[in-house]
Amino acid sequence: MKDKCVHCRYFDNRSAFIEMTFPGLNSLSSAYGSVWAESGICCLHDLFLSPWRGCKDFKPSG
Amino acid sequence: MSNELKKTTTDYCETKECATEAPPKPVAMGWKELYLKEDWWAIYVGFGIALLCLIAFMSGSTFAKSLAINPGGLKWDFDSTGKIVDHFSKNIGLYGIQFLFWAVIFSITTKIMRIKTSEFIPAFIILYILSILAFLIAGWKDAGRWMLEPPIVALLIGLVIANIFPFPKWMDSGFRVEYYIKTGIVLLGATFPLNLVASAGPIAILQATLISLTTCLTIYFVATKIFGLDKRLAAVMGTGGAVCGISGSMAIASAVGAKKEHLYTSVTLVVIWAIIMVFFIPYVAKTLNLNPGIAGAWVGTSEFADSAGFAAASAYGKMAGNEDASIQGFTLMKVIGRDIWIGIWSFVFAMIACLKWEKEECGVKPSPMEIWWRFPKFVLGFFLASLLMTIIASGYSATDFNKFFKPGVFVPIAGLRTWAFIFCFMSIGLTTRFKELKSAGVKPFISFTVGVLVNVTLGFILSVYVFGDYWSKLGK
Repeated sequence: MKDKCVHCRYFDNRSAFIEMTFPGLNSLSSAYGSVWAESGICCLHDLFLSPWRGCKDFKPSG
Repeated sequence: MSNELKKTTTDYCETKECATEAPPKPVAMGWKELYLKEDWWAIYVGFGIALLCLIAFMSGSTFAKSLAINPGGLKWDFDSTGKIVDHFSKNIGLYGIQFLFWAVIFSITTKIMRIKTSEFIPAFIILYILSILAFLIAGWKDAGRWMLEPPIVALLIGLVIANIFPFPKWMDSGFRVEYYIKTGIVLLGATFPLNLVASAGPIAILQATLISLTTCLTIYFVATKIFGLDKRLAAVMGTGGAVCGISGSMAIASAVGAKKEHLYTSVTLVVIWAIIMVFFIPYVAKTLNLNPGIAGAWVGTSEFADSAGFAAASAYGKMAGNEDASIQGFTLMKVIGRDIWIGIWSFVFAMIACLKWEKEECGVKPSPMEIWWRFPKFVLGFFLASLLMTIIASGYSATDFNKFFKPGVFVPIAGLRTWAFIFCFMSIGLTTRFKELKSAGVKPFISFTVGVLVNVTLGFILSVYVFGDYWSKLGK
């Protein structure tokens, strides 16, 4: 399936970006851990999502 | 770090943050996880160090033992500060090698994980120097009287620096709390008897199930039924309090498609309560003179994050004179009892969100593979290290084990583990800047706090009265 969030250009799941976005996250956790899987932020809907989700606003990443 | 993350504006993004920071392409990991995730690196590094200690022992070398040196046992006082000078002038070479050992390992592995080495190295130099300072303070003759154990000292030094004259934010690249604690946990596995996992594991899982369900449901009920908060926020806070702190919150936030603000709220609440519990539980346990195994289990039941929990368990173990018991109780309860279920919690909430909360817009149905994807892989390293060392140690008679193998292999591994832990505890303090935390709101705060009170009380009852017999036998 190529229309999942992980392939969408609205989706940002870079670990350094995630840690920067959530202040305090790296003091007791880490965006480089397995538990995070490939979760990221949907910039269009401002949601925190699993990479394998999808929605009607999907746009392929560039 | 921040400059590199900024990307050009796209036509698609409407939010300010996205417009300025959206990446050209999201990261799809697959097998790359094996070298991009710190869980795997913690396993590789932990096994590498255990192997090094084993090879050194078998070849009759004392190198590994020397590498684990720290000034924590000096027992100096203000009339004998010369002891400190003597210690460092005699061992300066060893400290130099030790620094290089850790710096090389962590800077190469973090570089592979795409953390900037130019940021990591200066931060790690500071971290190492401050860790020496923490050991040194804890090595003061009267430190025990003031409960100034190394984990507490490291945490306090870090907190004071971070909140009074903080280091630049980019230095967080070197303050890798989770990477250090996971490496320490794999090293802990190498000295952890497998039969203990088999005998006490089921009790830990039972106690963890009781506490996790009760805490999560309490927070969820108070948040949704009393305060009418969003179900997703309630789920994110509930699992943050019940399962695995921020990591638990994040896993559930992404599983249920929570708003970014929900995660902000949960991160703030978990950080504040986790830091309070690091001090609260050991000091209450000390006041009640609890058995260290029992206190370790209580910390494992009621603390929110592995890193903060290890600080509390290790500190109390040192206060009570049996760190092994306290660490074992904590590890069984937290790592084995609570952490490994994070994937299941995540899958269950993803199903609830998909089938009940957002029937119309669920999109892709959650896969049971989520359980594996979110599994904290470093726990595998803990089990494998325990299995491997238990098999090797079983080749020795009880006398030979205590006379040769334990001091030759387990002691250096434990010494190096202590370093990994102190890096972690110091990093917690250095990265906890209370001013930077986002506001959580009164209703979420009360909901979470009720859960904390239920958790800490029930955790105490279960650890002391219900399963106390099991936990009190640890560390003997």
